[in-house]
Amino acid sequence: MHIQARDFMTPAWAVIGLGLVLGGSVGIYEMFFGHLFATNSALVWTLPLVVYVFLALASTGVSLILAFGLITKNPVLEAETRPLLIIAIGLLMGAFTALATELGSLLNMIWIILSPNPSSPIWWMGTLYSIELALLAIKLVMNLQGRHGVLDRPLAIATLVVAIAAAFTIGAVFGMVVGRPDYYGTFLSLVTLTAAVVSGAAAITLLRDQDALGMLTAKVLRAGAAFLVLVVAIRLVLEAGPLAEGTLGWARLWMLIPFVAVALFIDWSPRVFAGVALLGALGLHYGFIITGQLVSLGPAANWFGAVQTYQPNLPEFLILVLGIAVAAALIKLGQQVLTSEPEAAE
Amino acid sequence: MKYGMVIDQQLCVGCGGCTLACKAENNTPGDINWCDKITRTTGKFPDVQFEYVSTMCNHCDNAPCVKACPTQAMHKDENGLTVHDPKKCIGCKACIINCPYGVIHFNWEKPHEAWRDSEALVDGGTSAPLDLLAMVGGEGSPHANPERAATYPVMRSAGTVEKCNFCDHRLKVGLEPACVEACPSRARIVGDFDDPESEVNRLIATHGGKGLREELGTKPRVIYIRNYSPERHA
Ligand code: SF4
Repeated sequence: MHIQARDFMTPAWAVIGLGLVLGGSVGIYEMFFGHLFATNSALVWTLPLVVYVFLALASTGVSLILAFGLITKNPVLEAETRPLLIIAIGLLMGAFTALATELGSLLNMIWIILSPNPSSPIWWMGTLYSIELALLAIKLVMNLQGRHGVLDRPLAIATLVVAIAAAFTIGAVFGMVVGRPDYYGTFLSLVTLTAAVVSGAAAITLLRDQDALGMLTAKVLRAGAAFLVLVVAIRLVLEAGPLAEGTLGWARLWMLIPFVAVALFIDWSPRVFAGVALLGALGLHYGFIITGQLVSLGPAANWFGAVQTYQPNLPEFLILVLGIAVAAALIKLGQQVLTSEPEAAE
Repeated sequence: MKYGMVIDQQLCVGCGGCTLACKAENNTPGDINWCDKITRTTGKFPDVQFEYVSTMCNHCDNAPCVKACPTQAMHKDENGLTVHDPKKCIGCKACIINCPYGVIHFNWEKPHEAWRDSEALVDGGTSAPLDLLAMVGGEGSPHANPERAATYPVMRSAGTVEKCNFCDHRLKVGLEPACVEACPSRARIVGDFDDPESEVNRLIATHGGKGLREELGTKPRVIYIRNYSPERHA
């Protein structure tokens, strides 16, 4: 498709551009010049990391649904391969952008390859998401070149396996923390895997046409949301009983509301409830990531109080804007340049 | 050789000398203490108890920070110490999250930036921090201890973590860690846990002892002996 400057003179691009400029300025300042986030020595992973987890899991969910569709030869999903690849890549790049603002020393990243530590869940998370990105990129290139053949199925299976492992590993980054009872255990891997399916289905419902694909993902979304209701409800019960000792408890009754609403009412307006599901997933990740750090450990209690409170500040909100803007820009650009449906992501 | 430390709670008077000595020796920024304290107040007036527990990196045998670090920046050295290589640190903070003792710290900003201020507090009355730094010398701060540079950068970078390394630069030349040397009541004893005849092992054999949060399986190498009891001094 021939791209012209006026293709970018649209309200959608204006909003995306504003998000990129505002969020990008904060991100660049934070990465290279100074510190703006509401962190301290005992509360180190805040909203920017939540944004990374949220967008990475949404991307994982899209990859999962697409890979599953390709393996089972679902004609609706097969027909949507290219747009879904673009969405998955866009969301993952948005996630990486948010993460980059959060990491202290980007220039040292080479040591992830030169000095790997396979006992580290973060190392596995980085490795799996790099593989995931490479697989998505390979599939997109093959799709653009119209190449289909023996590699299709193995690639789809690899994507499915890597996506499931990646979603599990994000949970393990928190679940393997022995000294913080609100994190510890396999439960968070269950949460992240389910949340990935829900947010991936929600992202597709929100961004794609409401035809056969919309009906399919709405079904996945309804089932995933119902399962997430169950997961959060189980956690609420556990935190009131056997897990109570030493935990603050991250599960809240309000976390059920968006997913109950999605499970019951998605047919009323799939796009609106897809948005509700995404907000619910963001709130869920925020809930467990922040709560897990609020109890001060060791001497931190003298500095920050036994239990901290946290409110995201404006720069952190702007990283949320940045992550979403990067994802939106890439998805929209991909749809304008690589597909023949420029209005799809409006 | 496996270094470890014994802290005798009966002898510790809670003076904080270890914290200050560590700060001076290791050039830690204002809001970062490698050696610090845990304080606990329990009971109800008039039956109140106050406990002071001097603390720093426990150099765990099964260190969660080492397991969690994606780049092996946090690692065990040949003497069993948990040490940090800032060159490999990507600032992911996984070590901070995974340390159950709250003793790893992040440099959100370049440390000791206040010494780069060229404005005097009282114009014509005091030196500007930058002038003082120029007069006194010192890497980044007039208090900087050049000996620290033997094993760890005197000035740490923004975006990396830092923590106690048992003053490994001092151990290497046969000196005790600064906190041990500064303790006025000899409540801190450093030694070789591999040597059954060492003073640390002898003290543990005599008094028993316990590390912090041992139930987590971290196998800390800082062992606390004897709870403080006023009667023992009577
Ligand atoms: S902050 Fe540095 S030392 Fe700590 S886990 Fe990350 S890379 Fe390792």
